[in-house]
Amino acid sequence: MYDLLTGPGLKLSIGICLIGLIIRGVLYIKGLHWQLDRVAYTAHLKAGIRGALRSIFFWILPFGARGWRTQPLMTVLFFGFHIGAVCIPLFLAAHTMILQKALGISFASLNQTVADVMSWGVVVSAFFLALRRLVLPEVRILSGPYDYLILFLSAAPFITGLLCRYEIGDYSFFLLIHILLGEILLISIPFTRLSHILLFFLSRAQLGMDFGIKRGGMKGKGLNW
Amino acid sequence: MPEGTLCNRQPIQTDEALKTLLSDTGGRQYYQEMQSLPVDTPLLWETIQKTCRSRIRTWLSMCARCGMCADSCFLYRINDRDPKQVPAYKIQSTLGEILRRKGRVDNAFMQMAMETAWAKCTCCNRCGLYCPHGIDMGVMFGYLRGLLYQQGFVPWELKIGAGMHRVYHAQMDVTDADFTETFAWMVEENEEDYPGLAVPVDKVGADIMYTVNAREVKHYPEDLAEAAILFHLAGENWTVPSRGWEQTSLAMFAGDWEACKIQVESVYDAMERLKPKRMVGTECGHAHRATVVEGPYWAGRKDGLPPVESIHYVEWLAEALRTGKLKINPEKRIKEPVTLQDSCNYVRNHGLKEITREIMSYIVEPGYFIDMSPNREHNYCCGGGGGFNGIGLYRKQRNKALITKRDQILSTGAKLVIAPCHNCWDAIRDLEEEYRIGIRWSFLKPLILKMVEIPEHLKPEE
Amino acid sequence: MFKKILFATSATEACDHAARVAFDMARRYHAHIDVFHVLGVPTRGYSQVVVDLTTGDEVTLDDNYRDLVKEEIRSYYDHQIQTTDDFAITVTIGHPHREILRIARAEKPDIIVMGGSTGASGSYAHKKAATGSTFQRVAKAAHFPVLVINRPAASFWGGFSNVVFATDFSDAADHAFAFAFKLVKELNCEFHLFHALDITCFQTDNFHTQDTIDDQIRNAIAQIRFRYVSKMGDFKPYAMEVWEGIPFVEIVKYAREKQADLIIMAYNTRQTDDPEASIGSVAEQVILRANCPVISINRSVGKE
Repeated sequence: MYDLLTGPGLKLSIGICLIGLIIRGVLYIKGLHWQLDRVAYTAHLKAGIRGALRSIFFWILPFGARGWRTQPLMTVLFFGFHIGAVCIPLFLAAHTMILQKALGISFASLNQTVADVMSWGVVVSAFFLALRRLVLPEVRILSGPYDYLILFLSAAPFITGLLCRYEIGDYSFFLLIHILLGEILLISIPFTRLSHILLFFLSRAQLGMDFGIKRGGMKGKGLNW
Repeated sequence: MPEGTLCNRQPIQTDEALKTLLSDTGGRQYYQEMQSLPVDTPLLWETIQKTCRSRIRTWLSMCARCGMCADSCFLYRINDRDPKQVPAYKIQSTLGEILRRKGRVDNAFMQMAMETAWAKCTCCNRCGLYCPHGIDMGVMFGYLRGLLYQQGFVPWELKIGAGMHRVYHAQMDVTDADFTETFAWMVEENEEDYPGLAVPVDKVGADIMYTVNAREVKHYPEDLAEAAILFHLAGENWTVPSRGWEQTSLAMFAGDWEACKIQVESVYDAMERLKPKRMVGTECGHAHRATVVEGPYWAGRKDGLPPVESIHYVEWLAEALRTGKLKINPEKRIKEPVTLQDSCNYVRNHGLKEITREIMSYIVEPGYFIDMSPNREHNYCCGGGGGFNGIGLYRKQRNKALITKRDQILSTGAKLVIAPCHNCWDAIRDLEEEYRIGIRWSFLKPLILKMVEIPEHLKPEE
Repeated sequence: MFKKILFATSATEACDHAARVAFDMARRYHAHIDVFHVLGVPTRGYSQVVVDLTTGDEVTLDDNYRDLVKEEIRSYYDHQIQTTDDFAITVTIGHPHREILRIARAEKPDIIVMGGSTGASGSYAHKKAATGSTFQRVAKAAHFPVLVINRPAASFWGGFSNVVFATDFSDAADHAFAFAFKLVKELNCEFHLFHALDITCFQTDNFHTQDTIDDQIRNAIAQIRFRYVSKMGDFKPYAMEVWEGIPFVEIVKYAREKQADLIIMAYNTRQTDDPEASIGSVAEQVILRANCPVISINRSVGKE
């Protein structure tokens, strides 16, 4: 079972995830329309790229955008969640081993303490993000079962991962569950809002181009995000 | 159910239809008819299929529902943080819902969407700066307005406004003859004080083609006079077109994209005809947005630019002051606390944030200019943008919306507010009327005229 | 001389004295009288809403409302209207000074008659936005004589017979003279040419002796002869005088002494944008104090 999941299962889920994301990305870009979006994407490519990069840069930098600075608590939760969510699957020592075995790619692996902090960061942030959804009226009104499901889907592999890490309960059972949940997560990425793994960059780039080309990017220093 | 005689899906095309709709005081019958206006759901869905592409669809589906946009919206803040005013909620419960239901929505839904699109959003685009995913809900509300307009669910005043553009190529019933005639009148009134003052009409190849807001022609011709005098004093080689002089677009507020195209093409035709080096528009925000920022796309110009370089009045003024074409008498600079309104339409949406401050540095005695907080591209809407000012049905909501700006002004302590935008100017005027905080407000032109030095050779003989 | 009178009115008490003069003139000179009223200022952006200048209420403008206001004006001036059959009532919306100038330009009246300040009614924000009164703005720009009545015109009995022309020797005063002379000739009036020598400006330099002042008075008389009398041909019933003092006080005193029923003078300010300066203008002080009508002229009259 373990071999099935870490062998063909892993390849399949990574394949679905990557191919799905590529399709999503291509469809997104193909669906852009200079006149309907009212952004002359290709006519001013240089200004567009500059705007796109600025737009992405200030928003992946913690406290880089005014939006992050005005809501510091959310910013801590956001980055607490996302840094771990991106780094752990790729760089945890156990993961790099499996990846090397299954796909033949090898990444440098994380120091165990750092990995622990990151993992806990994901789980704790996920808990508070869920709490935030329940408590703040302006978020509660936007939240439905789907939002909790997505949050659960992304946090579950980390929770089970930690159970394995500290060998709580039946190790081999939780390991299987952990791998299964991880692969479900991978497969669901292109089909759910989790596609923002890619679309975040494309959407930010799009708005960056909008501001960079049309809405003032070619007048003065550009938007102060 | 048939469509109403006044409230229907047909745009206003004739003067007669315009007058009929106008004579329906306050839109009483119009809104009555709206109660039973059927929704053409196949048309709605077909339009969405054709025009709603990956950008908006992705925005709607990828929204993380994180609520970070809430605090960016002045309408949310001012309405006691009502969760129903959260931008993401507003767009998801209207446009998002229409997409999810594949256009199958009913009359009540459309009326709710109309109120949301015109009374709960001024399309100031501030939320777009606060969404981690880069989702600009203002853009989506602009799109939603188009869908609503097509179905006939549009506030009465904006149906009229869009009709005005179709019939008169101007936002009010001002004809081309009225326009040139009013300018001629203003020259008459001022030529004794400014010898040689003239308004060249349809001069080919001038350095500047000047375009205006029809309200100036109708109600504030002084504004035309001031513009003419300042060009005259600056020694500009300028002209006005006898056709295509109206820079504004209520059609944009209404979501009447066809009328937007008609309107902006009339201005571009004038540019092609007169071949000026540049176009300068008056002190108006949405006019600039319509003609310079969005207009090229309505007209199908692939480079996204108007036929000739087009600038806002503040850009011309800053340049004239910088290069010494206009000289300010330092004695007459403003010596009282003064603040500046950043218009969303050309500051957040066209980057003209430093240039107005450069003007302040020339006309305000150092130490007297106080910025609002927040400011520049993070400034709040005046409270009357996007057509909000003029819609009788949403008067109450609009008056409440003014509180944000009122409090921003109050905390600067300034008694004079410079608002180089018609909509902002109106909103600030209305907020003084509504809340009496003891401020004055002004466009730039009259202020400059009071402090500008008149070159010797242009002075009247004594 | 007065075939067409434009009476711009707020249709309130503030314009009652002006109404009496306007209708008396119309009757006396068989003139057509246009009763012109600006009922509201546009507000609310591009909407159809106006603020009624009389009540201060926001109203949505339509034909009914227009007719209603017209009817109110007709009944307000009921007894005066009965004395003339050549009149029209026009109501419109807009900023009062602008609309008065607009209709004047279209109708080319021989004279615009206005009341004094309209007091405290009307739109608050409109008043704040408008620097200077409606009169100031009309007087500054109009190519027409503007007759203003602020106080009961005690010495006015229906026609003009005794006219004071007060000059400050400005260009605008030349325009005022041209009009005044035409008027006195056509209406057979006595004509008093007057200049007030401003001695307030001597205060900083009190070494001016009475001799200096007398010199200046002699100069002023010579100027009156040169600038005006020389253009009057064989017109006889005139007198001229120069007094020293504070100009507006002297003008009012002189008019009272001569029992003038009309003062004609230049409005003469280019700076109505600054309310402080223009309120201090001589013409406005005279208007506030004179007990006869005052015609102010700022530009050449009847210029196309």
